[in-house]
Order: sequence, then structure tokens, then C-alpha cells
Amino acid sequence: MDAKVSVRPASPDLARLSPREIIARRCAAEVKDGEVVNLGFGIPTLTSNYLPKGMSVIFHAENGCFGFGAKPATLDADSDITNAGCEPITLLPGACVMPLTTSFGAMRNGFIDITVLGALEVDQEGNLANWAAKRNGHWWPGPGGAMDLCYGVKRVIAALQHIDKAGDSKVKRRSTLPLTGTRCIKVIVTDKAVFDVKPEGGLILREAFPGLGVEDIRAITEADFEVAPDFGPMRLGL
Amino acid sequence: MSKVMQLDDAMGRVSRGSRLMIGEFVGAAEPTKCIEWLVEHEVGDLTLIALTPGMTGGFGKGHLYAKGLVKELISSHVATTTESSDAYLADKLLVRQFYPMGTVAEKVRAGAMGLGGVLVPVGIGILDQPGLFPELAEPKQKIMLNGKEYFVEEALRADVALVKGWRADELGNVEFRYTSAQNQCDIAMAADYAIVEVNEIVPVGTIPPDRVGIPGPFIDAVVQGQTLAEQNDHYRNHWIKLGRLAPVAP
Repeated sequence: MDAKVSVRPASPDLARLSPREIIARRCAAEVKDGEVVNLGFGIPTLTSNYLPKGMSVIFHAENGCFGFGAKPATLDADSDITNAGCEPITLLPGACVMPLTTSFGAMRNGFIDITVLGALEVDQEGNLANWAAKRNGHWWPGPGGAMDLCYGVKRVIAALQHIDKAGDSKVKRRSTLPLTGTRCIKVIVTDKAVFDVKPEGGLILREAFPGLGVEDIRAITEADFEVAPDFGPMRLGL
Repeated sequence: MSKVMQLDDAMGRVSRGSRLMIGEFVGAAEPTKCIEWLVEHEVGDLTLIALTPGMTGGFGKGHLYAKGLVKELISSHVATTTESSDAYLADKLLVRQFYPMGTVAEKVRAGAMGLGGVLVPVGIGILDQPGLFPELAEPKQKIMLNGKEYFVEEALRADVALVKGWRADELGNVEFRYTSAQNQCDIAMAADYAIVEVNEIVPVGTIPPDRVGIPGPFIDAVVQGQTLAEQNDHYRNHWIKLGRLAPVAP
């Protein structure tokens, strides 16, 4: 989880980047030095591996911690030092712990600068859906802390693959799933493109994966979007 | 009078149909011995209030769902364990509605602090959508205050709280290590009877007053759990099993 201990691959071939790595690399470019950061599970967690060298951020864990670091070696793992997924972590110098309700107060009340969250779907109004899909007639599996993050974190970055397994766009005109947050997303990062969400709703295409043009993105995107005047290739930190 | 008790005596407060709150966060800092007692004694028909169902892969609370001992779960999630997820999808575990985790925590805190409930803005326009929670008899209650809409979230209380601390004295003062404090103090205060399981029982005066995480008057029973070394082994072995830690060469 700590940028200082991550190993950055030396100029990997663009074509060999996995969708997960593309998304994580591009999400890392959204994080600014000194910010308080909450990373969701899955692809967002990988973001910490691609923060620029020397950048210093404070990672927040919902269960009540600012300033956690990398996973410990097995025999150093302490059962009372865990993150929001009950994974063993370490506490860096300057770390602090707090009661759970304080931690959620920090999330609702704007003390977290940025969060990167995985999504099942996003839409052109800036809505994010990631807590419920229909399974066996039930909504499943539940929001955990994601709704609290969407409600109160200053910048919500949605991280997801551009199209689903059936080939359909996950960047929708209007999400059909129960939402996690309404009009909360500031930036959408996929393996193909980066969109800004305008404050009043509506998407602006800012970047595409190197080699892809505006029409390529239009062909795989259900949502409507404008194109930024400085539209260019995705910043992957390579 | 000492609050230190044998596990059987303390857990005798739990019976079929009890409403329980258990301290934990995805299985971290949960009262292992108390949960094992529930599993061994097959205490069923339980209503369980917890932030999450627990840690997956046959750990702790997972056994409660696998054995069908939990009738209803009040939580933020149903699938942090495959056991709870399977039971829910097979209609063997009732979840009337999902709460954002911060909302569950505040409902418990309201129960702890003697309040009727709290006003929560998270999820407005989402969790009040018709048809989302068909098990609810009535729609979620809302209120406008200073031009903003909130859910009226009732306080939660329980018959028995099971919490987990590092060490406690016979007055019931509890100390926590690192991220294990969670909302365990609120949980202890939100139940009619609070049992704390600890790694170590220490003489009165050992825990510095400013390190007490749950004041003694909120605790009814102190029971001896795993030692800290046993607990570390228990978690490390499960993390290795789940691939969260690398196996150690023998």
C-alpha cells in the first residue's frame, strides 16, 4: 500500500498492460501530494503501487486509521492492525487510530480528500453504482462503507472496465442499478478512456488509451460526451 | 465484586432467539471464544447486529451462518463471508434492508447513548427508492431539517453484547490495541448485558486511566479469550489460507 516500497516496472510494453493495471496507473495520476486518500478494494487498491516516487499521502482505513503502510511480513503481522478488508497492514510513523464512528464522521464530513472506488456502472450524471446486483431475486451484497464515501469525500474517482463481458458499455446514459452515490463522481477512469464529470452533469472526454481516437471511444460508450479541447493520450506514468 | 467469569456462566445470558451485537470489522477483533461457544451450543434463531458478517473461509462468525443459527442479520453487507452470502441467497438468512456502514454504527451509538435515533443524510434518493427493500413493512422514514432531507434512523439495542478487547481488569475496564477499538465501546453500552473477551486479565490499576477504551461500569462480564500470541497465530494462519499473507517455511 505504500508508494515508497512499490516496485515500478521499467517501461513495460503498452500492449501488455492488463486493464486492471491501466486503470490503476491512471487513477494514480488523480492523487495529489499530501492528500488524505481512501482506496476501495480491488483495482483501486493497486493505485498505491503507481504513485510517483517521493509523493507523500495519508491513507485512510474505514475501521479507524490514518497513515497505514504496506502489508507486513507474515511473522510481523499483528492481528490488531488491520485495514477495512481485515487484511494485515502496518502503521507508518505519524499514523493514528480513532474510533470507528469518528472515522465515518471523517468520511461524511469532508475530511477525506479523494477516494478511488470500483464500480459496476457509472452514468453521465456522475452517478456511481457498486453495491447491488440482482442475485437469486435479492439485491446483493450491500454497501459497506462505499455510500458514506460517495456522500462525503471531496473527489470521488470511479474506476472500472469500459465494457462488460457481454461487450456492453458500463459508462451509461442512466444507470439502472441501485446507486451508491448520486452525482458524486468527479472523474471516470476506465481501461479505454478518462472522463471528467461536469458539476451540472454531463461528461467530457479528456483522454483515451494511446492509439484510440474519439470515434473509437464513441463506439464503445453508451453515454453521451463532449470532447475536451486538450483531448490526448492517457497518462499512465510510464 | 469481580466481573471475571467463566465463559459458560457469562454466555448463559444468551439463549435461543436472543438479539446479539458482536464487535468486529470484517472479522477483525471479534470475540472468538464467545462465538465458538455459540456454535458448540447451537444457540439458534439469533438476530445478529454487526458492522459486517465477518471474515470468509470458515472463520469465526461464518460458522454461525453455516449452521443456520442466525435468523436475521442487521448489517451493512451480506457477503464478506461466503457462508452468510450463501445463506442469504438460499433464503435462510433474513436481511430486511442494507444500511451504509456509518449508519449502522450511528444507530448502535444512539442505542448506546440513550437517544431515540439519529438523522442520517447518506443514501437519500437511493435507499428510499420504492421496491428496493420488499421485506420492509413501511417505507423508510424521512424528515426535512433546514432545507435538507434525512433518514430518521432508529436506535439499535440488543439483549447481549459480545465485544473483544486486549486486556481487562476485574472492574471491567478494557484496553484496546491499535485498530481493534472500532465501535466496541458503543456496542457494550447498547446492550442490556455486555460480555468482553480479552487476551489478558490484569490486576486493577494496571491499565492507565487514559488508556481505558471501555469504562468498567459498561461491562457486566469479563472472560478469558485466546492469549495475544494464540490470537496472532489464529489470524496469521487464516490470512495465509486466504492468500493474504505468504506461507512461512517450516
